[in-house]
Amino acid sequence: SWRGSAAPPSERPGERRGAEMKKLYGKDAAKILAMETAMQLNFDRNCDLKQPKYWPVIPLKL
Amino acid sequence: SIPTSAASEADAEELQKEQHARSVLRETFLRCLLSMTNKKVQFHMHEKVKVEATFGASDIDVLNFQVSDLHTPIGVQKEALISPVRIAQPVGLQVQP
Amino acid sequence: MMHCGWSLLGPLQWIHYVNKQVKVKAGKDEEHRGWLLTVDPVSASLVLVDFREEGGVSVQVVMGHAVEEVEVLQEADEETAERLQTSFLPPRTRMMDS
Repeated sequence: SWRGSAAPPSERPGERRGAEMKKLYGKDAAKILAMETAMQLNFDRNCDLKQPKYWPVIPLKL
Repeated sequence: SIPTSAASEADAEELQKEQHARSVLRETFLRCLLSMTNKKVQFHMHEKVKVEATFGASDIDVLNFQVSDLHTPIGVQKEALISPVRIAQPVGLQVQP
Repeated sequence: MMHCGWSLLGPLQWIHYVNKQVKVKAGKDEEHRGWLLTVDPVSASLVLVDFREEGGVSVQVVMGHAVEEVEVLQEADEETAERLQTSFLPPRTRMMDS
């Protein structure tokens, strides 16, 4: 192609995250990733459902 | 470091040790966060402000806590997000016995 | 044993503090004591546990960014270590606060 071999590979976030996890957690990467995914999904779902607003709105420390 | 095979073997061993330590620490931490679901907690904010709430969930980077029935100094907020890294950082939280 | 630069230590250092009773200075003037259950390797946050006389446990999370100093007070005996590490196992074996 016109871009040649110097073009950066297309990034796939899922793949990159998997590789990062492997580097951080070695053979336990899949287990930790599964726990994190479940926890993040739970957090996201709660936020969708409950629409929480940040507190405090105004910083206490000025 | 020196690129000999002995050195790289030692490096690999060290890396495995570190990965193992990291995953043990992380797994225990995630389990602990999960165990807080629906528990009454108290957030310690700056300036000795303490607020109580029912713990909902945390994101995996521990940047946001989703809570319910947050008792603020000016009333109850039914649903709230508390972020340890925003300006008014809580410095810790305590699960009520 | 004391340490500053807590969040820069890394897993191999943090794991030495597990099962130790520690005193943590956090923020401007907060001080916490408890048995160190774990350190989150992502946020450097500490989880401190204390056993209540009436049974059950109290749990404190000290945010990594707020940690000023961690001092080891004593090492857990076998029974305390066992109690600490079984407190947060998945259901069935879990013994949570009252």
